[in-house]
Amino acid sequence: MNLFLALVVAVLFGTGASLLLKPDLFRVVAGLMLISNAASLTVITSGLRRGQAPIHPLVPGEPVADPLTQAMTLTALIIGFATTALLLAMAYRIYTTHRSVDLDDLSRSERTAEEELERGTAVEQVETEDAEAEQEAAGTPR
Amino acid sequence: MSLLVAPLMVLWPAAALAVLADGRRRPVGWAAAGVLAAAVALLAALAVRVATGGPVEVVAGGWPADVGIRLRADALGALLALVSVAVVLAALVHGVVSRRSTRLFPALMLFLTVGLTGLFLTGDVFSFYVFFELAMIAAYALAASGREGRMVGSALIFAVVNLLGSFLFLIATATLYRATGTLEMLAVAEQARDIDPNTAAVISVLYFVAFGVKLGLFPFHFWLPSVYGSAPPAVAAVLAGALANIGAYGLLRFQAGLLPRELALAAGILVGIGTVTIIYGAVQAIGRRDAREVLAYSAIGHAGYVLVALGLGGRVALAAAALFTVTNALNKALLFLAVDLRGPLVGAAFAVGAFSVAGVPPSAGFFGKASLFDAGVQASSAPTVLLLFVGGALTFVYLFQIYQHTYWRPPQDHHHASRGARMVVAALAVLVLAVGLWPEPLLALSDQAGDALLRMVP
Repeated sequence: MNLFLALVVAVLFGTGASLLLKPDLFRVVAGLMLISNAASLTVITSGLRRGQAPIHPLVPGEPVADPLTQAMTLTALIIGFATTALLLAMAYRIYTTHRSVDLDDLSRSERTAEEELERGTAVEQVETEDAEAEQEAAGTPR
Repeated sequence: MSLLVAPLMVLWPAAALAVLADGRRRPVGWAAAGVLAAAVALLAALAVRVATGGPVEVVAGGWPADVGIRLRADALGALLALVSVAVVLAALVHGVVSRRSTRLFPALMLFLTVGLTGLFLTGDVFSFYVFFELAMIAAYALAASGREGRMVGSALIFAVVNLLGSFLFLIATATLYRATGTLEMLAVAEQARDIDPNTAAVISVLYFVAFGVKLGLFPFHFWLPSVYGSAPPAVAAVLAGALANIGAYGLLRFQAGLLPRELALAAGILVGIGTVTIIYGAVQAIGRRDAREVLAYSAIGHAGYVLVALGLGGRVALAAAALFTVTNALNKALLFLAVDLRGPLVGAAFAVGAFSVAGVPPSAGFFGKASLFDAGVQASSAPTVLLLFVGGALTFVYLFQIYQHTYWRPPQDHHHASRGARMVVAALAVLVLAVGLWPEPLLALSDQAGDALLRMVP
């Protein structure tokens, strides 16, 4: 059983790691999701022992399953869920600004933006953005 | 209510409430700053209590001692919690007065502070992970909260790399639990002597990678410059001055505190990686023109000093690592907050920060460097002493390059030239000088921190 679970963890982690190296943002997020589940599975495997459910009242004399790893796994799953949601929101935001989720595209558009900034063509645009920000700040009710 | 629980009890409801409020309104920002100031006061009281009366312990929720989660403040935790929250307070005020506050900025800063306070004050490995994720998630959101698409891109990379580190931490923790059967740090430290050396080595390496990513050590640093370079100044200051402390604290607590035998085995490697980090950070910083990128590489380089101290080992070196972490946090917060501002006052503050980073008296940084020097001499390690000199000299070069580029030239544009922001920077500079002029409390606390780490293993 331990060997089987160790193999599952290894496959999950390996698949996640290979997805993490893909240039597509959503694949990166999916890879991280798999790794987070590999970690959760490791946590629950770390306290694997047979026994009755750790719920009061307990039958005396019989072994009890480890409740601590179950609590830890639940917490880890919730944290994994929250981080996945955050990552997906960030990836979506990148998609809406750049119309692309390809990391190569992103770094290319970043480089052109930087070059424009150095040449001074984008300065005006930045200034208007700043003015907008000030207006926004001034326009909010105090 | 115990002094140990009080900061969390103040911060937690305030953070939950702040989510509902509109952070762009000034009163909301000031209210959040008030809560943080209260937390700083409570943590200062806690630090005084720990310094005079030894570690403070509380078992949460009134459970029996071996069932409930234990909160525990020793000198190291109390000291780093105090400094980190003070840095967050300065950054929050800076963000509010310079009108860079977004809707969720105060709430995220408060959540980040809850996480930071909790992780420095917990005595339980798993609740460390929970608090640590809380702080990190708030940091990812803060790093992504700018208006430019480029920032979201670098924030996403920041989040992905650090989450990978977090999951490695989780796997290491699961393995540690399997090997020792407990999650309480003191019990783990006791049990860890008897576990299989191979398992212990795996755990130790996993923890090292997890915290190395957090701290931005040399092979794991690649996410750092773009995030520090593109985040707003207040966020960059928090990342460099408060979140980086997690990495240093984790290395000290988990390597020196829980697994000292494995640490001693790897001492040479640690000193090696630390040296490479210091040199690499300094050389890269000299090669950069953009002030924030220079500071980002400087942050990478200075993480190396902690590692060198850790590799040297012993009470003096561990105390030096704690002291250096504290002074470095203050310096980096000061420099990142100052870098976008102009004017003679900010110029003077920046110079104070630069002198402090280089380790010139009477600034706080002098004592950080001096204690490392002391540790190097005590370990009679000539390369370390030489490294400190070379590192300090390189620091001078790149910081005064920035100074020359920005403050010796007539101001061309007024970047958000808010008076309040300049006052925050000046206040931090005064704090750095004050710590340098009256270092006894800090020295005493960091000494105790070194002691506390050694005493974790009886």
